[in-house]
Amino acid sequence: MSPVCQWVRSVLVAYLDGELKPSTAEAVRRHLARCEACRAQMRLLQESWRLLDEVPPAPVRSGFTERMMARVVEEKDLSAFAARLGSHDLRRHVLASVLGMAAGLVLGIAVYAWTGLFEKPASPVEWEVSRHVSFLEDVDLLDEVAVIQAMDRLEGDTETAGEGA
Amino acid sequence: MAKAIAAVAGSYEQAGRRGAATDYDVGLMLRFQKGEELAFQELVERNHGRVVGLIYRFISDASEAEDLAQEVFLRIYRARKTYKPTAKFSTWMFRITANVSLNALRSRSHRKDDVSINQVTDFGDGPRAMPDPEAKMPDHDLHQAELQAKVREAIAELPEKQQVAVVLNKYEGMSYAEIASTIGCSTLAVKSLLARARDNLKDHLLLYIRTGRGRQRVG
Repeated sequence: MSPVCQWVRSVLVAYLDGELKPSTAEAVRRHLARCEACRAQMRLLQESWRLLDEVPPAPVRSGFTERMMARVVEEKDLSAFAARLGSHDLRRHVLASVLGMAAGLVLGIAVYAWTGLFEKPASPVEWEVSRHVSFLEDVDLLDEVAVIQAMDRLEGDTETAGEGA
Repeated sequence: MAKAIAAVAGSYEQAGRRGAATDYDVGLMLRFQKGEELAFQELVERNHGRVVGLIYRFISDASEAEDLAQEVFLRIYRARKTYKPTAKFSTWMFRITANVSLNALRSRSHRKDDVSINQVTDFGDGPRAMPDPEAKMPDHDLHQAELQAKVREAIAELPEKQQVAVVLNKYEGMSYAEIASTIGCSTLAVKSLLARARDNLKDHLLLYIRTGRGRQRVG
């Protein structure tokens, strides 16, 4: 490629966009008139640029301004809340509310624990059984222990009575 | 030399102020700055079509383009206290628009990595998610859809600044000086950006020019 062709190719896009000085544009025009290779290059640039028109514009959806203004209202509410949060009175109010909620929570846990959550087995035997059972989920088990103990006592009484007889 | 540079800078600033002074949107922005909310509403009404349209050129998703356009106007809303009318309103608005679009493209390219991982393990809804092999598009529509996808791909594969320059030049009809002012570089840099961009586009779309498939609706 000749140096002139190289120079013309470097300014070809600006030439097509009408962004060259008139004297430079005239020089390019004269070269293009006699150089087929540079003309072919120009046609490729023009065609590829024209292909960009094939992509359709964004589909228009009505009501944008209304949706936008609704978002602005949200933004204003948020800013107003943030500004109030920065004020001394509101900070004190929020702190008092948080402390109140925390105190209520602690009190609730204490009452719950007191009324039986952490209740221990009543008798030493139940305590002994529960100590050997890793997951004491079935409360009926304790009833069964009481039945077995009663039967043991009965059998003991019978044996004692038999021996006596 | 320094005097010459200062004189050029001064003349640019004066030109910007002259543009700003005759710019109706700048007037609306100043009224909004003084507390007139309706002026902001009018700004949105007048400009949202261009903003959505421009973002769509980068994003190719109408719903996301609208969300991002709202983000652009929220930024304008928040900037009302610091706004200074030193240039045309559209220059400032398009700068914000380009920034918001490019940020979205960047976060989308980050998300794409996550999606590709998910695609390996996510089989979707089974047969219902598969395309219907019986459904055929007419040849013309198929070619048109293919061509549009190819053009979008060609633009998307350009480096960021070239993309912005192409979109502003092609779809907003901006001159090199206006693009330079919008993206904050020299006119010479824009000239170089657009020369490289159009060369890249030509290489990417070469097949569609030579086979004539791209000419169905052209000419």
